[in-house]
Amino acid sequence: MASTSAARPAASPAWIPAGLAAVAFLALPFGRPGRPFLTFDPALRPYQLGSVWVWLVLALAIAALVISLLPLKISRRGEFLALTGLLGVASGVGWLISSSTPFGLGALASLLLLLVVAGYGLSESGRIQSDAFVATSILLVGAFILLFIVFPLFTVLKTAVVVDGSLTLGKVGVTLTSPLFLFAENPFTERSEVALMVYFAMGGAVLGLAWSLVRRGRAVHILFGTGAGAAAGFLIGLMIFGRGAFPTSLLVALIVATVSTLSGLAFALLGQRSRFGPIRHSLSAVSLLPIITPPFILAFAMIFIFGRRGLLSYQILGISSNAIFGIPGVALAQILAFTPIAYLVIRGSVASLDPALEEASQTLGADRWTLFRSVTWPLLRPGLANAFLLTTIESFADFGNPLILGGDRGYLATEVFSAFAARYDPNEAAVYGSVLLALVLIVFFAQRWWLGRSSFVTVTGKPSGGSLAPLPRLLEAILLALFILWSLVVLALYISILYGSFVQLWGINNTLTLKNYRDFLNAGWPVFLDTARIAAISAIPAALLGFLIAYLVVRQRFFGRTFVEFGSMLSFATPGTVMGVAYILAFNTGPWLLTASGVIIAIAFVFRNMPVAIRGGVAGLAQIDESLEEASTTLRASSSVTLRRILLPLLIIPLIGGLIFAFVRAMTAISQVIFLVSPGNMLATVLLLGWVEQGQLGRAAAMGSVLIISMLVTILLLLLITRNRAGTVGVQT
Amino acid sequence: MRRVLVFLLAALAFSGGQALAQTVAVLCSPALAWCEQLAPTFKTATGVDLEFIRLSSSESLARLRAEAANPTFDVWFGGTGDPHLVAFNEGITEFYKPTLWDDLLPSLTRSVGETYTPLYTGAIGFVVNEGVLNEIGAPVPTCWTDLTDPAYRGLLAMPNPNTSGTAYTVIATLVQLFGEETAFEMLADIHQNVAHYTRSGGAVGLLAGRGDVGVAIQFLHDGVAYIKQGFPVTNYAPCEGTGFEIGGISLVSGAPSRDAAIAFIEWALTPEAQSIAASRGESFQVQSNSNTPVDPDSPDLSALKLIDYDFATFGSPEVRDRLVGKWTTEVFPVPRR
Repeated sequence: MASTSAARPAASPAWIPAGLAAVAFLALPFGRPGRPFLTFDPALRPYQLGSVWVWLVLALAIAALVISLLPLKISRRGEFLALTGLLGVASGVGWLISSSTPFGLGALASLLLLLVVAGYGLSESGRIQSDAFVATSILLVGAFILLFIVFPLFTVLKTAVVVDGSLTLGKVGVTLTSPLFLFAENPFTERSEVALMVYFAMGGAVLGLAWSLVRRGRAVHILFGTGAGAAAGFLIGLMIFGRGAFPTSLLVALIVATVSTLSGLAFALLGQRSRFGPIRHSLSAVSLLPIITPPFILAFAMIFIFGRRGLLSYQILGISSNAIFGIPGVALAQILAFTPIAYLVIRGSVASLDPALEEASQTLGADRWTLFRSVTWPLLRPGLANAFLLTTIESFADFGNPLILGGDRGYLATEVFSAFAARYDPNEAAVYGSVLLALVLIVFFAQRWWLGRSSFVTVTGKPSGGSLAPLPRLLEAILLALFILWSLVVLALYISILYGSFVQLWGINNTLTLKNYRDFLNAGWPVFLDTARIAAISAIPAALLGFLIAYLVVRQRFFGRTFVEFGSMLSFATPGTVMGVAYILAFNTGPWLLTASGVIIAIAFVFRNMPVAIRGGVAGLAQIDESLEEASTTLRASSSVTLRRILLPLLIIPLIGGLIFAFVRAMTAISQVIFLVSPGNMLATVLLLGWVEQGQLGRAAAMGSVLIISMLVTILLLLLITRNRAGTVGVQT
Repeated sequence: MRRVLVFLLAALAFSGGQALAQTVAVLCSPALAWCEQLAPTFKTATGVDLEFIRLSSSESLARLRAEAANPTFDVWFGGTGDPHLVAFNEGITEFYKPTLWDDLLPSLTRSVGETYTPLYTGAIGFVVNEGVLNEIGAPVPTCWTDLTDPAYRGLLAMPNPNTSGTAYTVIATLVQLFGEETAFEMLADIHQNVAHYTRSGGAVGLLAGRGDVGVAIQFLHDGVAYIKQGFPVTNYAPCEGTGFEIGGISLVSGAPSRDAAIAFIEWALTPEAQSIAASRGESFQVQSNSNTPVDPDSPDLSALKLIDYDFATFGSPEVRDRLVGKWTTEVFPVPRR
């Protein structure tokens, strides 16, 4: 919008949003009496609120209107517009917060419109070197990330240390020293568990020291190596000998992340280099499983296969044990559920192993070990690290499996849930949430540090041509055996769910019946449809917002870009359970009252699934030459036109992909939204978990089967649409 | 911009049609099967729509506490009495005296006074899968003290008192039978034997029925539901005597649809509404209205040795939160011997 005319400029287009903001302010209720959205209670119109300060919003809107019509120098006028717009938003938000009035439609409309005014202003002033569309988008995206990602998480941290209005570390202390969190000393053993943990720490320190000496690091490295070794040793000791939610979750996450990452690597190698075509093809089907299945479904089926009266454990092997309850069961369920996620991530890295590089290295006389260390390993590292990170996050976040198979102990995710939804101690829940968040961020930054660089959006591999050296026969046989075993178990679990949906009483009375499907139609179908509706509605903003963010981050340079990237990363890395508590704490009272509505569920879905679309968008944009957009801009198209006419048609396939994956993920999500359901706003997965727990097994199996099959059909439809396109859809969960 | 204008105008036009039909929002704590029968039968009887969420009693109390400032629920239907009493004591629910008050069993109304309205009653016991116990060679437990026997290692299932009102009734029963100190020693020993703590009180019977454990500690009327479904379990009542619940129905303070809530409470206490529990809701509690026929499958409470349950003490917020907290920090985290 850079104008060159120094003469009397025309009115700024910002007069339209400014005028509308004023109208919206006067016509619509600024606040709400309670939860309902579409209320037009006249008592909440601004002139009945009995407050002078609320009129500041109107004053600034009118000021912006007047300024935009004034014949000032454009850049100067832009400065004024940006200032009045932002001040208007700040005054409105400030009034809502200080009066603790839930925002009404008037506040929503007028403040958003004032943000648009500010966008025009920033663009005209040249503060943002782009047109008003981009400037407004940046402001809106920033506001959304602030309100729906940063603010809730901040509320969690705040609630952990602010108890009854005063700042204290008391709750943190009480929670972290509670035996529920950590129970170090087993009273029934002669030995001292704490002493053992200290020995482990000392062992770790020695190993760390030795390692850093071998690496010949400087003093600071040696110190760091020793410290890290000691910490790792202590943690391992803690996991082995300690009890309580902290060591339990840590142990489960470590087992699950390690095994899933290794299996993912094995499958990725098989998928690319196996001699058997069918194996290679079936692997891409495997990768769909975690997306179409709510994570706890497998736990539910596992009881029937591995339980005390399980098909495999009891009827075939004759073992009568309930070892399935506790860490082994939870870990197994999570490994089965999350290995495909690891596989998806690692597949890209394995695909980027260029055979030409290996040949070159061998020609130069490298032996196999050198080849592995200097060529293969560095290429695999990002994929493995990412897979480890993702599976760790999923494991920490998951509480469906611990609820069903957890046994006699607590897990961090179940304690977050229990502290809030059962003991109703929001402060304790916030402390647990902060711990989970801290753990995830530690793993995240450790991964970043280890990889040295790279943002979370960049880990994708480009498959290269060339003939691949097949795997060594023995290795392939082992990997194949592993894969077949894994597939058999997963297949058995899925078949048992399907079977359970067609029998009277699973495991007790095995006569075939359609009763379960009738029950499901009566009790579950309306909820299923409601969920599909919310999931579909939320998928659209999730995909569009994700693409917009991808466009801004990749193609635009602006102040606050790091913030947008970091905010998106947070929404992706935060365990769903923590986000659930965060939403309840942040949106249950005060100006942002949103709980107990379908809206908050939709918002949760949008910000949960947006990162998938961001990845898709970033990957798609990377394949489009920027000169196309430059040409369009040179021809004086605005960036919104360029985005719509040039980029959208080129990116339509990844966009549809993002849309469908956002939909499917919303249909199968549970850990965040279980906190947000309310009468009239029930979700299929939450209902399903209730049925599983309540022993309504038949119809739970029926609903599970319907859910899985319908999601499978949706995904297959997507694959059909995108089959002819080379660009893969960004599906890395 | 034009589109925004259209939206605003549409929103304004919308403001005309605001008279929403009344809907009663119910927080439902008994078995899911019963909760599901409420909406269609209440709609037929009164024409009012009903929406519900099923949460176990302690979870329900947490939900009501969380929403105390701006409630979404109108009525809390069912669930053990102690949390109803806690909610009343904290002002989250209010007492509404139904017109049918005098038709309710006097033993129940006398016990709870004018705090919440009794809906049903039932006693705690053991739901036993004898096949599993025989296979391991463990005897059928007949007394509370039997459960502390290491022979039952890994063979018990109990709900978690954090979420379940049933489990709190178990703790309160043991405290009243044996005194707090002995009761918690017993709970610690029982913990050594528990394979899995469930979220909901009704769910443990499924573990016993399926054969994952031998003994489920829960309400006997929940055991009846599993027996009738065809699970191989039998009900046993403890020899020392056992505690019981007076399940309640409460009006939520500041209910968004108060009139509909009162209509629902009035309806829920009629014999017609109450008989649905057994006939279609897989729930075999003894219903509170003396005119509701007692289902032949309901456990016969007069044949049981019931303790003189001190509702006032164990329904006070301090006692409940302290006992649950004590169990949560002193019993639950302890490792295996």
